[in-house]
Amino acid sequence: MSAITSADVSAIVDDVFASMVDRQEGTVAPWPGGVPLDGHDVVAWVDVRGPWRGRASLETSVDVAASLARALLRLPEHAPVTDDDLTDALGELANVVGGNVKALLPEQGTLGLPQVAAALPDDPAAHPVQRLPLDWRGRSLVLTVWAADDRHGGAAGAADPPGQEDR
Amino acid sequence: MIHVIVADDSRVMRQIVVRTLRQAGFDWEVREAADGQEALEAVRADEPDVVLSDWNMPVMTGLELLRALRAEGFGTPFGFVTSEGSAEMRQLAEEAGALFLIAKPFTPEGFRDTIEPCLA
Repeated sequence: MSAITSADVSAIVDDVFASMVDRQEGTVAPWPGGVPLDGHDVVAWVDVRGPWRGRASLETSVDVAASLARALLRLPEHAPVTDDDLTDALGELANVVGGNVKALLPEQGTLGLPQVAAALPDDPAAHPVQRLPLDWRGRSLVLTVWAADDRHGGAAGAADPPGQEDR
Repeated sequence: MIHVIVADDSRVMRQIVVRTLRQAGFDWEVREAADGQEALEAVRADEPDVVLSDWNMPVMTGLELLRALRAEGFGTPFGFVTSEGSAEMRQLAEEAGALFLIAKPFTPEGFRDTIEPCLA
């Protein structure tokens, strides 16, 4: 696979947050070194299959995920957010990031549908190729691009039901 | 008034697409569909002026929707709004009869610049 650089992933994140989330640039920055990450208890991810197999994941706390949903839906700061909207919003962010990561690859594969859970499924075949701890409005989220280790045969994930993916 | 069907399995994204249409100056009448099959049935029931569809959806993808529409004789103007904008996908979209492909993330300006020429 071609190297997916930290700069590539940062540019994608900047674009996604500036266009979709905040309507302004510069709202996302690297998480300050030495500062512990907030507790992360929700993660959204999409899997890429094909010549390059891997995953893009976005981890954060439920509170931050709710804030992201409010931002995407242009809701007031403390408006209630349903679980469905929280899951949908975080999943869609991971989906857009994953689609843009996939576009960096020299050979196209297929992108799975976004999935959301309390934690990533354990996958010994996957290793992080880029991990970006991020600061969004003073709260932490972590974007990770994972690659599958071919020696294990199974790509990160591979759990989507048939018919739920396309190019 | 132009009548559009917005198909995306994400309710949040449908809302963003509809909002972006308005911000781009397209004050269209909108119907929403949660996957390609719903969109296909909505077109059969009342053909819109344009369909804006996500690509990757459960039940029926956007590409399957477009191909089904063309196979049934619907020439409805069709555009993709999708998280994947590779050259390969743009070619697939064009070959299937799509007028354009807008990659996510997008802006109102991007919507206007892409859609307006297709309305002429």
